[in-house]
Amino acid sequence: MAARRLGSSSWPQVVLLSRRCCLPGGKREHYRCSSSSTALGKTVENSEVTHEEIVLPRRKTWNKLAVLQTLASTVNRDPTAAHYMFQDDPFLMPRNAANSRLFSLSKESGRNAAKYIIKQFPQYFDKTFAEPNISCLMPEILTPQIEGVSEEALKERIHLRRVKDSVDLFDQLVQAGTPVSLETTNSLLDLLCFYGDEESTPEKEQEEKEDLEEPEVNASEQKAPKRQFQRGSQLSGSRWRENNNAERIFKIMPERNPHSYCTMIRGMVKHGAFAKAYDMYMDLLNERHKADVHAFNALITAVPYLKDRFLERWELAKVFLNHMAQQEVQPNLLTFNALLKTLRRCGGVGRSMSLSVIKEMEALDIEPSLATYDHLLSIFYRGVDLYPSGIISEVLDDVGKRSFTPQDPDDANFFTTAMQACCDLKDIKLAYRLNKAMEKGDNWKFLDVDRLNAYWSKFFSLLCMMEQIDVVLKWYKEMSPSLFYPTPKNILDLLQALDTANHLEVIPSVWEDMKQLGFNRRHDLLEELLSLMSRDQHPEEIQLAFAKCAEDIKAVHEQSGREQVALEWTGSALGHVALLFSRAGRTQDAWNMMECFQQINRIPTDRVMDEFLNCAKQTNCPDEAIKLVKLAASLGLPSSQRLKSRTEKEFELSEKQKKTLENIQSDSDSSDSDSDRD
Amino acid sequence: MWSRVRGWGGAAGGCCRFAARLLVGPASGRETVGAARQERRPHSKIQKLFSTSNVLSTEKDESTASKDSTTEVASKSQESTAETPKQKLLDIIGNMKVEVSYKKKLQQLKTREIKKQTTNRLEGLDSEGSMLQKTTEDTQRGKPLNPELVEAASAVASSLPRDKKQTESELLAQLRRHEETTDKQKKGGTINIRNVISEMAIKRQSSAQRGVWISNRISLELDEDGQRTKPERLSPQSFDSRRSLKVGKRLNIFTKASTEAENALKTVSSPTIWDLEFAKKVAAIAAQPPRNGFEEMIQWTKEGILWEFPIDNEAGMEDDAEFHEHIFLEKHLEGFPKQGPIRHFMELVICGLSKNPYLSVKQKIEHIEWFQNYFEEKKELLQEI
Repeated sequence: MAARRLGSSSWPQVVLLSRRCCLPGGKREHYRCSSSSTALGKTVENSEVTHEEIVLPRRKTWNKLAVLQTLASTVNRDPTAAHYMFQDDPFLMPRNAANSRLFSLSKESGRNAAKYIIKQFPQYFDKTFAEPNISCLMPEILTPQIEGVSEEALKERIHLRRVKDSVDLFDQLVQAGTPVSLETTNSLLDLLCFYGDEESTPEKEQEEKEDLEEPEVNASEQKAPKRQFQRGSQLSGSRWRENNNAERIFKIMPERNPHSYCTMIRGMVKHGAFAKAYDMYMDLLNERHKADVHAFNALITAVPYLKDRFLERWELAKVFLNHMAQQEVQPNLLTFNALLKTLRRCGGVGRSMSLSVIKEMEALDIEPSLATYDHLLSIFYRGVDLYPSGIISEVLDDVGKRSFTPQDPDDANFFTTAMQACCDLKDIKLAYRLNKAMEKGDNWKFLDVDRLNAYWSKFFSLLCMMEQIDVVLKWYKEMSPSLFYPTPKNILDLLQALDTANHLEVIPSVWEDMKQLGFNRRHDLLEELLSLMSRDQHPEEIQLAFAKCAEDIKAVHEQSGREQVALEWTGSALGHVALLFSRAGRTQDAWNMMECFQQINRIPTDRVMDEFLNCAKQTNCPDEAIKLVKLAASLGLPSSQRLKSRTEKEFELSEKQKKTLENIQSDSDSSDSDSDRD
Repeated sequence: MWSRVRGWGGAAGGCCRFAARLLVGPASGRETVGAARQERRPHSKIQKLFSTSNVLSTEKDESTASKDSTTEVASKSQESTAETPKQKLLDIIGNMKVEVSYKKKLQQLKTREIKKQTTNRLEGLDSEGSMLQKTTEDTQRGKPLNPELVEAASAVASSLPRDKKQTESELLAQLRRHEETTDKQKKGGTINIRNVISEMAIKRQSSAQRGVWISNRISLELDEDGQRTKPERLSPQSFDSRRSLKVGKRLNIFTKASTEAENALKTVSSPTIWDLEFAKKVAAIAAQPPRNGFEEMIQWTKEGILWEFPIDNEAGMEDDAEFHEHIFLEKHLEGFPKQGPIRHFMELVICGLSKNPYLSVKQKIEHIEWFQNYFEEKKELLQEI
């Protein structure tokens, strides 16, 4: 390496040098201390005379990622492109949130399928082509290699996480009278407690992973802690069964050390047997053992399930903390996070005590992680009434100062929780500060795809509510397809913001986006869009653009594709579309719309009919006008008389047309009288 | 009307905090408010009809009432209420609410631009709230007593030999107290805002007592006397300062461990499955899909799929030797003769070895040593030649 850096011309020199200076081998270490390659050249000439010590430059070792990291830091996000993971195949470029979710999950599941095949059929992957061998592409050895009944074999099975095999082997060992060492038994207990005495399968882990991803969408929408509780119990999957293998083995252990108790406590808490965990802790105390910090953490998380009343919960948590202090167990970050998580479910007590907990952490020099702040914000801002923004502001101060590394699985929730709090407080300044903190360092990594969507859609709603329209549109352009896919609510917010700022001319482009996002079949959005477009008269070009949107919307309603059923017209939507067509001077299209009214048994409003008549007049289509009068008459509308007189007055009618107009009148009269008679 | 006020409180994002808080109290408090509302409904209607200003004088009220041809009951209640300033106060408050609502409506009509000005409005409302508070207190203090009574009291005071002023004020204070209680009983309920507030505070306290007594001191302090803390609640700043990350007590359960103890803790046995899985879980939350090609390459490098950068011909060489140890092997020839055919042969050997990429440094040295031993063994034989 060093040689290469010296360049080709200096190669012989180096060879010479190395021959010379390698000879007095003992001094070589000394040579390496200093000097650079340029200094080397000089010393070569003088060396014969002065015998100066020549120092070989030490090869510089690069971090294998350094080059790539530098390169990666030069690439910025392209606001117009979808996420990098979708760029393999342009056909599979997601257009909306649902698609993006589907595609990313299918990509991941494809990978998992490949892994499954390799794991399941390792015998077909015995050829090693690569030199050097790439071990991560080769199947792992998952079958136990040690045969027979021995502690070694048991250890291997535990290592391979074969729950059932390990238990069987343990039983065989015990039956044969071979003593199993405490250490091995403990690790077997670890295994059993972790998996809740069920076989560990890769499929299950994957399911769990997907489960983990899924709830964010729901959790963001409904902030009910109850739901989380339900999920929490479901997610653990296997429940702790009475007298399962872990309990059985624990009972027949000849001697138990604190670790055996602690792992049992952790397993019981993990699998929802909270009362049992508490009893186990009592047993541990009776045996005069000391629990470890993990067991205490587990016990503190179990507190809300052990006691019902807020104060009792807090008292119990405090009992555990005091025990920790008595047993000289030093608390860690996770202890306090567990404590705060418990305080989340302690109502007012939590609110008053959580700050003391934070102070305690500070006094012990334990740096809070994002999960700490997450719990804190939930305690203060998840309530019914709004809490002043003092706490969140201080939290953001602290968060803004640091770049975080993940330390607690709950860390990931912070940014969405904080953004929710900003939304509830309707404080855009806080939201900006939060966003800045999120973009700092590697903090963005805490937002996975679903959380990212939740975070940005909340942020965007807040922007629409509080910001000037220019700023909103800038953000919208910046983040719309590349960062997140707007939800229908976001689009609604955007439309309202446009309405407020009187920027309705942007609507056609919003409609384009809506089509992309697959929202073109949502009644609420269509209704809002149409009513905004048809509310006021606009300049010519805008009206034309609006009419194009209206045409699209009409197409959605009349679409007879194979996969989708055509959307039902509503009376108001029909009226809006007709209005938009008439304003753009597209008489024929407008008339088609008017005919639809009859088909769906709705009645056009006077405004729509007047506008249509105006349009007919402008485009000089007396026929259409007469048709309208006919329509109004056949629907028995009171306005038909007025329309008729308008038609007579404002249009130049031929004799024939005049006659038809007269006939309409008589027809409608007769029909009226008919209906009267009926 | 009150319920509507609460509705705006929600809509305007807590800007009508004062109004909302008044109503958050227990049901009994709300009932009294309800009773008060029923009683003054005709009156307030009239006020709404005739004036929207909140500077309403009693005389005007009375005159409008007499002019108006309302039912007898209404006028009766009008008369009775006109006498009690507290009732008047309530009306004024009611009117102010109306105005607030009117303003709000106007603003809503005036496009939704005000959203940006919510903060301003918030302040405005707050100041209104505090004004309200002030008026309550004013009327409370400056409650007019019958002038005759006052005169009589001063006469009594002057007839007594001791401190005149003090006696007078004592008497008057007593009289005021009387009147207050009679007023209260006359109406058969507490309309007084102060009473409503204090009752709410008491209720709160009792509900808090259930769950929180010993440990929840901090929050109780806020509620213990509603009258004193109420004005504080109105201004967010002062309220905030009481709950902050910076101030407050710690739990005082743990003591900080010495560093040696920490180090001792760290030297524990091999990681259990719990530790491994926890590490995996924590790593998973920050494991985002790569954002660009380079990041993907980083990921692959970490997984071991990709050649490591910088790419050189040392990939897969596990012995930690550097290139010169592979190539410059003369130093291993010290045990050989300085010249002669053996030296010549060995130089050829190391030349070959230095070009061989398949052997490790150790193997090369072993190779050379084999020759050394070989020539050592054959030394006698060689010397014979």
